[in-house]
Amino acid sequence: MLFPLGYALWLSLLNYDLGSGSQEFIGLGNYRELLNDARLWATLLRTVGIVLSAVGLEFCLGLLIAYGLYRLTFGVRALNLLLFLPNIVTPVVAALFLRWIFIGRWGLVSGLLIGWGIFPPDFLGDPAWARVTVVLADAWQFTPFMILVLYAGLNTVDQSQIEAAQIDGAGVWMLLFRIMLPAIRPLIVFVLAIRLMDAFRFFDTIYVLTGGGPGTATETITLYTYALAFRLLQVGKACALGVLTLLFVAVLVATMIRIVYRREKGAF
Amino acid sequence: MKPEGINRRYVLRAALAAPVILGGPARAAGTIQMISHRYPALEHYAEVMRGAVPGVTVNTQLMPIDKAMELATIALSSKSDTPDIVYASDTTFQTFVRNGWFRPVDDLWAKYKDEFKLDDFPDSVLAPFRHDGQLYVMPHTLNTMMFFYRKDLFDQQGKAPPTTIAEYRDLAKSFNSPMRAGTISCLKPVDAATNEAHWYLNALGDGWFDNDWRPSFNTAKSVAAIEMLKEVTKYAQQGFTAAANDECTIALQQDTATMGLQWATRAKSMDDPNKSRILGKIDWVKPPQGHGRMGGDGYAISAFSKQDPDVLFRIIATSAGQKSLRDAASLMIPPRKSVLDDPDLVKANRFYPAALASYESGTRAPSLPEFNAIGEFVTRRILQGVTGEMTVKQAMDTAASETETFLKGHGYYK
Repeated sequence: MLFPLGYALWLSLLNYDLGSGSQEFIGLGNYRELLNDARLWATLLRTVGIVLSAVGLEFCLGLLIAYGLYRLTFGVRALNLLLFLPNIVTPVVAALFLRWIFIGRWGLVSGLLIGWGIFPPDFLGDPAWARVTVVLADAWQFTPFMILVLYAGLNTVDQSQIEAAQIDGAGVWMLLFRIMLPAIRPLIVFVLAIRLMDAFRFFDTIYVLTGGGPGTATETITLYTYALAFRLLQVGKACALGVLTLLFVAVLVATMIRIVYRREKGAF
Repeated sequence: MKPEGINRRYVLRAALAAPVILGGPARAAGTIQMISHRYPALEHYAEVMRGAVPGVTVNTQLMPIDKAMELATIALSSKSDTPDIVYASDTTFQTFVRNGWFRPVDDLWAKYKDEFKLDDFPDSVLAPFRHDGQLYVMPHTLNTMMFFYRKDLFDQQGKAPPTTIAEYRDLAKSFNSPMRAGTISCLKPVDAATNEAHWYLNALGDGWFDNDWRPSFNTAKSVAAIEMLKEVTKYAQQGFTAAANDECTIALQQDTATMGLQWATRAKSMDDPNKSRILGKIDWVKPPQGHGRMGGDGYAISAFSKQDPDVLFRIIATSAGQKSLRDAASLMIPPRKSVLDDPDLVKANRFYPAALASYESGTRAPSLPEFNAIGEFVTRRILQGVTGEMTVKQAMDTAASETETFLKGHGYYK
């Protein structure tokens, strides 16, 4: 693990450009250039927006479905298995058939809407719709992971606490928000941290669905890194961006854990 | 009994057994690896390559151009000995040659000149594939963008194909309907969007660069040209911002678009009953006001290949042989004089006259090794202008500033 990281760090200090063939040492030059790059900041902001929307949606949906499963008295195993299917499909394959679902004019969704006499929006071609589509695509694939973890967590809540709350007259939602969620808070932080880290690496689905377009409408930080490395052939700069992304995600997750840890000693 | 754990002896045994289990060298001896862009003519060449030299296995991997170039870049930049044969276009090969990733083929060309009748390639066809006087690519196709239009629909409405881009815009508007777009537009970055912008910039604007490689795509005329592109996209098929040549070809074949610019290599597929619903309904003319992108492509030999260069050259030369080109003549414009001038082929392929007219009025992409890399940010900025994320002027100015920074970093503007 340390060797690739160290190598990437070393490359990030070079003006390593496959196009010009140069490999000179420039210290922090790549970092300086990147921090002054408007496209980087726009991409970072967009990435944060897409990640928070996707993870937020996955968490809300995941929690609702997990709680539904928790209260279900039959067929839980079968439903759990079915719900988990999207998560075990290879992201590129999933993205490919999502592309055929959302593609304009002859896609499944457009076809259905046209069949009902509604002229559909351009799901992948309109900047706003493209962002919505990539968020939905990510949610479709990773909500099952949330469901699985949260469902497992809900099942660990002390039954005596639940019974006591029920005796005191707590309803279904009060039980969830006042008893169960506080009880599984460390697990929630864990699952959100994992998903946030993962979502920041969001690449394959967007690459297949929109290629980061239209324009830069769905270009995330990993797509920009890819463009720097394999389209602009600026390997040193791409490595520097990789290191910056690593630092950004590490700080984000550490902050999240720290906040929860302060509130509740022993969460981690 | 003590359970057996992983000890030094176990690790040593496993290490010794690994090569046997994994099967030794990853490549079977004699298997030649080829990476290529994919369209019907190239599929034909790949098939010819697979059987070109008896006893030699050629593994051909065909994919969209952006993917093929990325894969080749990754492999060759790490000096990998695969692929052996690499697709190259007149714009992409320059970067590869400058980095020393392709092997010059002049020696092999001279050696096999008579056997493969290589004098049949006109100098004008070979010139774009030379770098510092050395030849690196054997041409397989000449290509040009033509104007495809639905002759049946034009005839029904008594309209003639456009001769100016303004006429084209007006026709696109008049033909546009929810079920059939007025035109195709292929603005997926990088390759497709570059092709389309190339036409507008050269026909209406000041082109890509001035003589000192300073961007000229953000002059007032060029901005107006991209504004025109933006206007035309109002009548384009859904998903045009993510549409490359495949998607645009399908839009025409499936009767969901009326006209537009597309490569000559896609013309024959309009009449393919397995793919098209508009058999015999498409006709072609040269792009309004000319200046459609023209180019060519072929195959080069990797400088890092460990295969016998003579065998690799024979494979490439066979696929670009007279017979192979004659067989594929309906799928492209052949680069050999003997095939191109064959009156029977001209008669058999009804798109030839328009293709030749388009070729004569076409404009090549700038001969700049960095052109494809620059296309990455220029096309994204153009799309931001087209989709209204910024004004066209802002988009082109931003792209120009990024281009200058990029080229400066590559030693230009000294």
